[in-house]
Amino acid sequence: MESQELPYVLVDCIGGRLGVYEDHLGFLKKRFHLITMKEYLENKTFLSKKIRAIYVWYHKPAINEELLQSLNNLKVVASAGVGIDHLDLKLLSSYGVKVSNTPFVVSTDTADMGMALMLASSRRLVEGHEMAVSPDTEYFPVDWLGAEVSGATLGIVGMGKIGYKVAERAKAFEMKILYHNRNQRKKEEESAVGAIYCKKIDDLLQQSDFVLLAATLTPQTHKLIGKRELELMKPTATLINISRGKVQNKQNCIKVWWHDKSWENLQL
Amino acid sequence: MFRSKASSLSTVIPLMFGQSNLACKFFHPVIASHGLCCHRSVIYKQRYRMHQLSAGRRTINTGTKVMAEGELPSVLILDIGGTHGVLEDLAALLKKHFHLITMKEFLGNKEEMRKKIQSIFVFECRPTIDRELLESLPNLKVIANSGVGVDHLDLKMISSFGVKVTNTPHAVADPTADIGMALMLASARRLVEGCLIALSPDTKYFAVDWLGVEVTRATLGIIGMGSIGYKVAQRARAFNMRILYHNRNQRRKEDEEAVGAHYCAKMEDLLQQSDFVMLVVNLTPETHKLIGKKELGLMKPTATLINISRGAVIDQDALVEALQNKVIRAAALDVTYPEPLPRDHPLLNLSNVIITPHIGTATVQAIRMMAEEAIANMLAALNDQPIPSEVFPK
Repeated sequence: MESQELPYVLVDCIGGRLGVYEDHLGFLKKRFHLITMKEYLENKTFLSKKIRAIYVWYHKPAINEELLQSLNNLKVVASAGVGIDHLDLKLLSSYGVKVSNTPFVVSTDTADMGMALMLASSRRLVEGHEMAVSPDTEYFPVDWLGAEVSGATLGIVGMGKIGYKVAERAKAFEMKILYHNRNQRKKEEESAVGAIYCKKIDDLLQQSDFVLLAATLTPQTHKLIGKRELELMKPTATLINISRGKVQNKQNCIKVWWHDKSWENLQL
Repeated sequence: MFRSKASSLSTVIPLMFGQSNLACKFFHPVIASHGLCCHRSVIYKQRYRMHQLSAGRRTINTGTKVMAEGELPSVLILDIGGTHGVLEDLAALLKKHFHLITMKEFLGNKEEMRKKIQSIFVFECRPTIDRELLESLPNLKVIANSGVGVDHLDLKMISSFGVKVTNTPHAVADPTADIGMALMLASARRLVEGCLIALSPDTKYFAVDWLGVEVTRATLGIIGMGSIGYKVAQRARAFNMRILYHNRNQRRKEDEEAVGAHYCAKMEDLLQQSDFVMLVVNLTPETHKLIGKKELGLMKPTATLINISRGAVIDQDALVEALQNKVIRAAALDVTYPEPLPRDHPLLNLSNVIITPHIGTATVQAIRMMAEEAIANMLAALNDQPIPSEVFPK
């Protein structure tokens, strides 16, 4: 097939610190004719009619009304990753453009990261490493302790694909698993991981040793965790966020932390 | 120091020291069947405490007997508090059953103290047990180690004095398996490096071509499939990992199937196929420098070595070379030899190494459980009853 016959796909840039990976060009170029933003802007008149899709890589290119107006043959915006809070879905829909994400491939790696953070935080891994390699360390103090993950209570806020994979992993650590979700999961799914539904997020917050946020960012989850929610948590609890920064109210987090030293285990 | 807010909470705090409303149930079936001890000169009380852990569900099944005041057996410890001494909360636990004598007190009054001491509680490898000490304690019956590793004790020598040695295998398994998983995940996902980037004053943006390696569906090779190794396998299975293991003996089929583990009779096979190699053996003459240049050379160049056993299981110089030359991808070590490493050691400066300060059992819960397990061992030994966890020289 001649390259002119492949569909034209707009990307922000290729390579460098923010661009589409050069390693990926092999399989992308088999199917598509890639146009970078730079190339597009240099030849707008010709290219704007050709571009049928935009491949959004790490939130770029940013898609605004101006771009949508000039790309009148645009059919789909394909975003790499599962979160689409960087896209204005209503706007895209009003232009008849479809939006896609990649929910299946991200779930296990994101769940792994959630477990990594929970374990690292509770066992003070980063601090420990710094002590182990610090030029000032003369001995390892014996009263330097962390908290146990095995057998502790994990509260998962947002039990979608990622949240569920976290639960599967946490079960192997014999953790007690509570979850809060817009909807309760099916009984079989709950029993498979031993998860207990908490209709009210407060119940989850009060009982958990670890609170893990795995919800999508929407207007409903924006600042879901604020001062009130943090105060409901145990003073010995750890907050883990693998969703989006805006799901927690960072300002309040910091205020609470400085105000009351007992929150020193709060991991932001 | 791990701290928590004090008693003004309305919710139950996961196992904290000094909390009088928290307690654990201990009951050893063998001791129960013996009923009360038959010594007539002392009064024994069976004590039961209710299990109420909100974090950590492991329990130690042992009987505890409290002897009448003034007749408590004497236990030698290094010190209470300070840099290497027994933690104050643990000392309080010990004092319920024993009269504690610190090394300082002992050395200050040897003649009077030496005959009293029936037991030594070894905490974080101290006090050092040498021939001189053993010769000066004629009534010593048992040395109770806090922790499972006893490579710091000369078992043959101690046995020649008719002294028993005990360890604490039950208390250590979960937290050590957890640290193994923590190190594997942290190394694979470059967590320490990433944290430094995220916090650095120089960071302006997060580069998108900054990647780690995947844990889910990768192959984990466990060298040493004892209690701890098996718990690692149980956890790794939940990450859909393919699990290989090498052990002195193959495990039972049911045990293998429960975690989906495949036995590698030859360690070489495990090394060649694994993305993550985790060392979970005890240190013996056979496992000393088990992993050297040859073994590192057999590993994949994309593989990670994790050590939660003892530093001396790895030839450290060979490891430095392998890491510098990218023979393997990375290493994550909770243990080194010595601990801490000299401050000019090359391992401290490699970006593909994570080192933690031997924190495999450094949790509030584990420290307490180890002391309780050691107490049960000591009481059993002193009362001539079956000892839950005795260690014998080979």
